[in-house]
Amino acid sequence: MAKEVVLSGCAASAQAAKYARVEVICSYPIRPYTAIMMELAKMVANGELDAEFVHGEGEHAQLSVVFGAAAAGARALTGSSGVGVTYAFETYSPIAGGRVPLQMAIADRALDPPGDFGSEQTDAMSTRDQGWILGWAEDPQEAFDNSLINYRVGEDHRVLLPQMVCQDGYFVSHIPGKVVLPEQSQVDEFLPPYKLPHPLDPHHPVSHGPQIRPDQGTIMDLQRAQAMLDTPKVIREVIDDYNRLFGRNYAPFVEEFMTDGAEMVFFIQGAHAMTARHAVRHLRAKGVKIGLVKLRFVRPWPTEDVANILSKFKAVGVIETSTSYGGAMRGGNLLHEVRASLYDCPQRPLTTSFMAGLGGEMVPLKDFYWMAEVMSNAIKAGKMKRNVYWVGFEEE
Amino acid sequence: MFNIPKDKEVPLGCITPAPVTEQPMMITGNWREYRPVIDNEKCNLCMSCIVYCPDACWQLNEAEDEPVWNAKYCKGCLICVNECTSGALSKAYELDFADGVVRLEKPF
Repeated sequence: MAKEVVLSGCAASAQAAKYARVEVICSYPIRPYTAIMMELAKMVANGELDAEFVHGEGEHAQLSVVFGAAAAGARALTGSSGVGVTYAFETYSPIAGGRVPLQMAIADRALDPPGDFGSEQTDAMSTRDQGWILGWAEDPQEAFDNSLINYRVGEDHRVLLPQMVCQDGYFVSHIPGKVVLPEQSQVDEFLPPYKLPHPLDPHHPVSHGPQIRPDQGTIMDLQRAQAMLDTPKVIREVIDDYNRLFGRNYAPFVEEFMTDGAEMVFFIQGAHAMTARHAVRHLRAKGVKIGLVKLRFVRPWPTEDVANILSKFKAVGVIETSTSYGGAMRGGNLLHEVRASLYDCPQRPLTTSFMAGLGGEMVPLKDFYWMAEVMSNAIKAGKMKRNVYWVGFEEE
Repeated sequence: MFNIPKDKEVPLGCITPAPVTEQPMMITGNWREYRPVIDNEKCNLCMSCIVYCPDACWQLNEAEDEPVWNAKYCKGCLICVNECTSGALSKAYELDFADGVVRLEKPF
């Protein structure tokens, strides 16, 4: 029988790793993701989980250890936060290019300077062009579910890509929420044992990561691009399967909340979606025609889903919890992708970035009300005044 | 699907059977500043050089029972010299040119 428990996001991620029967884990401490490794270390020490637990000497080493382990045919997990994610940056491209589908559990954290512990999505968002599957969870349950879903998607032989399963630091990683833990047999049915097509094996020796010629470089890039192109179909299949087996109701890429009759929406990923839902409910009660659209995967970016859904509205406020200094829209990263997705639509909504939740700041209800007012005024005026608003620091 | 000419195909993730055929276009031996030199009298066949070489430039010649060095691809990292358990490996300076410059016929 599935059972309901109360877990933090970190504990939920650790539980998911246990259910996935992870075989090699490599840790290095950095808050807030550390709590995932603390839980896993306990499980390994207690004999609950039969896995090799390796202490890395830094994040670059962590990624290298799991790269080797997963290349040798073990289901592997590592993770990090903030500057730890960026310290390992060199390894992201070879792992994706080598088509080794390991998983990284990330509880996000602001990058320096100078040393901010708070949640911010810039760390993992900065890796988005390396060929990793990337997405955020809103609550501990989704962190748990995404871990299993991502292993299954990444290990599919049509995909074979590594995955970053992200949750917002503290807001998800350290605030307990209800998590339904399934039966082990259900997970075993959903997630077959890991099988790499060409594992490192002394009986059938293969070379991973050899030097290639410059004229082979494009072909390697093209293979990785093709794998990313093939991923959305697999994600749709896997989410269907997950929903059926575990009684969930996930949209594969883009979830709509109270969008019936909505003129404007918040477009958001991660923990702050929960506050945004409350804001939408309260605003709806007052007659404001607003809804919420939540993104579940940044990579592969669901261009068609975003275009089809967002083109129905008059205004879209993209809540950005990451920075893109000097970018085309002068704000965060998501607006670039949103506007590019909408470009070919005959009807395009007004759009803007709302910079909110940076450095670990909360995004309280009053901020969402203010954003709604900005969008509402833009609809009346038929024009969005600016492409970016730093919420709380600017007049409309 | 993309059209990739037959002669340009690359295996998935560039994972190839080992040991791979040498690639004439990507010779790395000319990156070397020092080369490892083996004294076969001292070698105790511990295989450390063969195991540790990141580029498989030490292979065992089973007929002669001795490690064989690949001058064409050894980059001169000298990990083998460092790991050698018997003192059979030492290093020798490679840049014996009058002006100290390595000359390459081709960039790769």
